[in-house]
Amino acid sequence: MDWQVIWLFLQQGVASGLVTGSIYALLAVAIVIIFKTTDAPNFAAGELFMAAAYVALYLLVFLALPFVAVVPISLGIAFIAAALFYRIVLQKIGSSAAVTVNVVIATLGLSFVLKGLVRKTGVGDVPRSFPSIFGNDTVMIGQAVLTMQDIGILVLAVLSMTIFFLFFNFTRTGRAMRAVGMNPKAAVLVGINLRRTRMLIWGLSGLLSSLAAILIAPKILMTADMGSVVILGFAAAIIGGFTSLPGAVLGGIIIGVVENLVGLFISSRAISVAPFVAIMLVLVLRPQGLLGGKVAVKKV
Amino acid sequence: MPITLPAKLGSLAVALIALIVLPHLTTGYVVYLANLMLIYIILALGLNILIGETGQFGLAHVAFYGIGIYTTAILAGRFDVPFPVAIVAGMLLAGAIGFLLGAVSFRMRDIYLALSTFAFGEAMQWVFKSWDDVTNGPNGMRIPQASMFGFRITNDHDAYYIVLAVTIVVVLATVALMRSRLGRAFRAVRESEPAALALGVNVRLTKVIAFTLSAVYAGLAGGVYASFSSFIHPDSLGFTTTILVLTMIVVGGLGSIAGAIMGALILGLIQELLRQAPSYQEIIYGVILILFMMYAPKGVAGAIKARFGRSAAK
Amino acid sequence: MTVTPFLSIKNLTVKFGGLTAVNDFSMDVMPGSIHALIGPNGAGKSTVFNCISRYYQPVSGDILFQGTSLMQTPAHGTAIRGIARTFQNLELFNGISVVENVMVGLDAALKRDGKRLSPRQMRLEAEAILERTGLADYRNEQADALDFGHQKLLELSRALAVRPKLLLLDEPAAGLRNREIAALDRLLVDLVRKEGLTVILVEHVMQLVMSISDGITVLSFGQKIAEGLPAEVRQNQQVIEAYLGREGGAAA
Repeated sequence: MDWQVIWLFLQQGVASGLVTGSIYALLAVAIVIIFKTTDAPNFAAGELFMAAAYVALYLLVFLALPFVAVVPISLGIAFIAAALFYRIVLQKIGSSAAVTVNVVIATLGLSFVLKGLVRKTGVGDVPRSFPSIFGNDTVMIGQAVLTMQDIGILVLAVLSMTIFFLFFNFTRTGRAMRAVGMNPKAAVLVGINLRRTRMLIWGLSGLLSSLAAILIAPKILMTADMGSVVILGFAAAIIGGFTSLPGAVLGGIIIGVVENLVGLFISSRAISVAPFVAIMLVLVLRPQGLLGGKVAVKKV
Repeated sequence: MPITLPAKLGSLAVALIALIVLPHLTTGYVVYLANLMLIYIILALGLNILIGETGQFGLAHVAFYGIGIYTTAILAGRFDVPFPVAIVAGMLLAGAIGFLLGAVSFRMRDIYLALSTFAFGEAMQWVFKSWDDVTNGPNGMRIPQASMFGFRITNDHDAYYIVLAVTIVVVLATVALMRSRLGRAFRAVRESEPAALALGVNVRLTKVIAFTLSAVYAGLAGGVYASFSSFIHPDSLGFTTTILVLTMIVVGGLGSIAGAIMGALILGLIQELLRQAPSYQEIIYGVILILFMMYAPKGVAGAIKARFGRSAAK
Repeated sequence: MTVTPFLSIKNLTVKFGGLTAVNDFSMDVMPGSIHALIGPNGAGKSTVFNCISRYYQPVSGDILFQGTSLMQTPAHGTAIRGIARTFQNLELFNGISVVENVMVGLDAALKRDGKRLSPRQMRLEAEAILERTGLADYRNEQADALDFGHQKLLELSRALAVRPKLLLLDEPAAGLRNREIAALDRLLVDLVRKEGLTVILVEHVMQLVMSISDGITVLSFGQKIAEGLPAEVRQNQQVIEAYLGREGGAAA
């Protein structure tokens, strides 16, 4: 491989990596906000993402609604579905002196239900493709080729994460969410409604997953198993230390770029195992994630 | 209303007799199902040691099951190693790899341990799928007909008593293990690491032993599965299978041997019944899990304990 | 003094990040004595315990137990050497039964002696210990079903099961009623005078400290500010200011 090809691959890998990485970043943020505020990983994150993509597909293709209507309706449905799951199921579990494992199993249950529902509707039993929002005209950036869809993904992902950070840092509700993440007991003492805040967090997480799904769906083949993409969101969250939002975003970008470079320089078959090897390596070397703090000795 | 000892022994005797006469009363399918349930019990008991007793969220169980199946099948099929020896080899290899996984991940907790072991499981499935020369890759591999201690296993009936005997030995060994010093050390680590250390429990070593033992159980389950099965496909060795076993021990009741057995039977049967209605399978299974977590958070064993007093669940 | 100390802490310094929790602390404990370690909350008493039981690694200093350094002993090795402890904020094995909690302690004693007991004998031994600490009636309860005072006693029972030579008790009287404190007083005196145990006691209940301690060391902000017989410490102006004065003379 000569230097020119390497240089070309590098540019292409980084450009494509930023695009997919921004999606992983969205997914990682969706995972981390739930983990931070409810102390449990949401193992249904992948299926929420998958179901949201199908909801959008259904509205767009089967009901032939225009994009301007599809996006807000899809985001709204995802928000409400995720919030309801928290309200109806997790709140009940949380009040029965349960441990994290029960919440995990319940989210796994949700993932089975969502997968089953999508298959049952008849929409999810054959692979489908999602229409591109921004079209597939290409643009050259340096020597890298991106489609308009790629550009749209990057711009919208960055924009929505910016809005999300502003919301998180500068609104009353956002600050309440951060307070719950840092110290739930203290948050209750200053008058924050814990249940309502956590419910909103779940809704917001569903909304972010849905957004990621609508953006990336045109680039991947849609099946009921497409939720497995979200493992890369988990990988991004781990790299970022699992409780840090900027870490999650950085992790998403790193995973996206590395994935694309592995695909270009090594082999496409290696892509499928690379994230798992990366997760293990990171955790073996730094059990608390790349950007996580020191492993704390439990105070006794 | 505590359950008395004679009542316990009586029901055990009835269960044992029922298990022994079962193949004579039923068709091949039921016997096949019984074998499968027994395998699930071994898998669930193994995962319960790691997650239920020691509190370590290892989610790579299916990887060790796969190692057991492939090792047994390859040794018996290509190298004409006698089946019992091949099964033991599969257990040892699974145990060795479990030991390594435990040794590198003893510093991780909760979510990190869960994700790194999950990643290990996925990576192992990739190996099963991609190592064409050894595992025959994504097309799956034929498993040779087993013969053990002089008689050949040609169908599920032939295998049943061997599988049953192995499972009974495993259950009894697990009961003894959980009453031993090591069993108490497992629970001590789960409940409080600082206190365990102060009471002379080598926490790090105990975690590694739990990982190793749990892998040995899964390896054994794999080897026994290979003795009555004729084919292994790597698609069946994915995270879903680990999840199935995990849900068995949680629905049964974490940290309870009886719970692991009941969970294996309940969810194993539900899983099998739902095969009749594939389109609803995932939905119903998911709803059952959610309802269990909402209304019986401590599993079947916990519910029985709450209903009948302490002696029942232990 | 001619007797060698049973436990000797030499120039112990512990830091958490930039914060110095214990600074250049030294203390000698004589064999067969009850030595109290007192001081206001956050003075570093539990940190000293955590160093003796090797849970925390000090920045500098040494701890000699029966004349040999503990610094090469891993945390899980202290019980085998004969040191047992309780925890300020309870570290019980909550999900298992009271009697099994004690059995984990017995395991350490048996490991030291290289012995094994049948499950039945284990249970009888554990129940004998619970009898002594007054928890026999609760032996089959799950540990977290006990009230706070009983949980404290269970930690003590579990530590006694180790058959230690040195017992570190972190606020054993917290949550106990007066009658129970009196029983604890008798039990501790019994253990020390009849069985030759050495006890280091961190305690806020001054009635207990003053009545049973042979010596008292006072810590404040990680520094030793006084040491001596109970009567001496009680009179010490610095102690009254740093500790008794602020926490209220009522406790004394």
